[in-house]
Amino acid sequence: MVSRRTLIKGSAALPLAGMAGVTFVSGAPVFAQDGPVKVGSKDFTEQFILGQMYMQVLNDMGVETEDKLNLGGTQIAQEALVNAEIDLYPEYTGTGLTEVLGLSVEDVISGGSASPVAEGATPTANGAASAPGSVSQVVFDAVAAAYKEQFDLVWLERSPANNTQALAVKREFAEENGLATISDLAAIVGDLVISAPADFPERQDGLLGLQRVYGAGFNDVEVLPVAPGVKYQALLDDQAQVVLAFGTDGQIAGYDLVVLEDDLNLWPPYNVAPVVRQAILDAWPDIADRFNAVTTSLTNEVLSGLNWRVDGDEKAEPSDVASDYLSENGFIGG
Amino acid sequence: MRISATALLIAVLFYIPLGVILARSGRFGSPAAGLIASLRVIPSLALVFLFVPWLGFGYRPALLALVLLAAPAIVLNTVAGLRGVDAAVIEAAQGLGMSRTQVFLRVEWPLALPVIIAGLRSASVEILASATLASLIGVKTLGQYIFTGISLLDTTYLLAGGLPIIALVLLTEVVFGGVERLTSPGMG
Repeated sequence: MVSRRTLIKGSAALPLAGMAGVTFVSGAPVFAQDGPVKVGSKDFTEQFILGQMYMQVLNDMGVETEDKLNLGGTQIAQEALVNAEIDLYPEYTGTGLTEVLGLSVEDVISGGSASPVAEGATPTANGAASAPGSVSQVVFDAVAAAYKEQFDLVWLERSPANNTQALAVKREFAEENGLATISDLAAIVGDLVISAPADFPERQDGLLGLQRVYGAGFNDVEVLPVAPGVKYQALLDDQAQVVLAFGTDGQIAGYDLVVLEDDLNLWPPYNVAPVVRQAILDAWPDIADRFNAVTTSLTNEVLSGLNWRVDGDEKAEPSDVASDYLSENGFIGG
Repeated sequence: MRISATALLIAVLFYIPLGVILARSGRFGSPAAGLIASLRVIPSLALVFLFVPWLGFGYRPALLALVLLAAPAIVLNTVAGLRGVDAAVIEAAQGLGMSRTQVFLRVEWPLALPVIIAGLRSASVEILASATLASLIGVKTLGQYIFTGISLLDTTYLLAGGLPIIALVLLTEVVFGGVERLTSPGMG
């Protein structure tokens, strides 16, 4: 939800940012930015790891950073970014499209004549990162353009990884009931319990969307409202049969779960990318190349593996996971 | 919010006798009361998750957490209420030939009651407010609307969850406030 106030602020900042970009004295940028770059994130594992990566790459570039990770949900992070309380945070294309811009996938693909393929719709499939015309690319282009225009915020390149929402079940359960898609699940879901965060029943991209797209089967499903961090535990304890998962959750691989295919395309693609204030890119133009190199290396397998190091038995710190990955792949310390 | 009422009921049945016992067991009472007071430093959020590994998700671990949450207010107020009774009054009662039981039931208990009710009052407010957290471990409460409101930053949901809780708390305050006044010395 964008208030009129923030819109006006956003457009007023545009000419200032433009000027800052050209203020160079003998090659050294005069920073439009006072103080450290404030790196934000939302409140779950993958966001912590990505936020840490951004901070460590910035530090490697000699840019001072301030840790503003763990801000809560999308709306809070977005507000903070628009009001320059943070300078960047990782966001998902589908989230930007539906929750920030209030659009749907149909809104942005209706113009194209090609029937786009849902690239990477299942979390195990990593389609070509930038296949033109794919839903992922169309959504990314639409979101990037709208953010630039409305908020003067820049989406750097997106990951091939698609952290879409998904419904997952235990492997035995899928085999016993012959489940491969959400349509299969819709036929039997009336007797089942879905473990999901407390906001799931009221969300258009949650239960309301499932009811709309997959039909009445989801009308009398029972939801076990739990904190995001423990939703898999309810599945392992057999207090729920279905879990609302994210495509790159480490637990999918860790607990050998089966992700049901979103065969009717309820959920848009959720490729992740850093969203950055224009003023920051003006002050440090190299950020784009450095960040893009990292982001384009992040496939579902990579992110799921990194997430599992934090969420699995190893219980590694997100900062350590980030620095291991960045230095092993030569993104920092080069 | 049935879980709140159940929690308060269990808490009353369990903690008031405990408070009475602690108030009478002089030397041993104070450290025990201190231990119970230290429960206050555990955030209710942590308490709600504490029993999930043993009891699983749902009603039981949430109820247990809420009951524990009520301990400091009820036990400590019971102890304080009974200890606060003037020794001279008790002596006078004994002087009149009352037995120990009579002294307790007819002198100490009535005099301590307003303080005990005040403890119930703050315990029930604490329980009502914290019951919303049960929606983090699989119980349907008004908290669900609050969490939806937080994640969507939608005030309507926040109010839909928050206002009924405020109303319940106010109602509880009025009821206990009335009881407290009725039981205050000087009324009878």
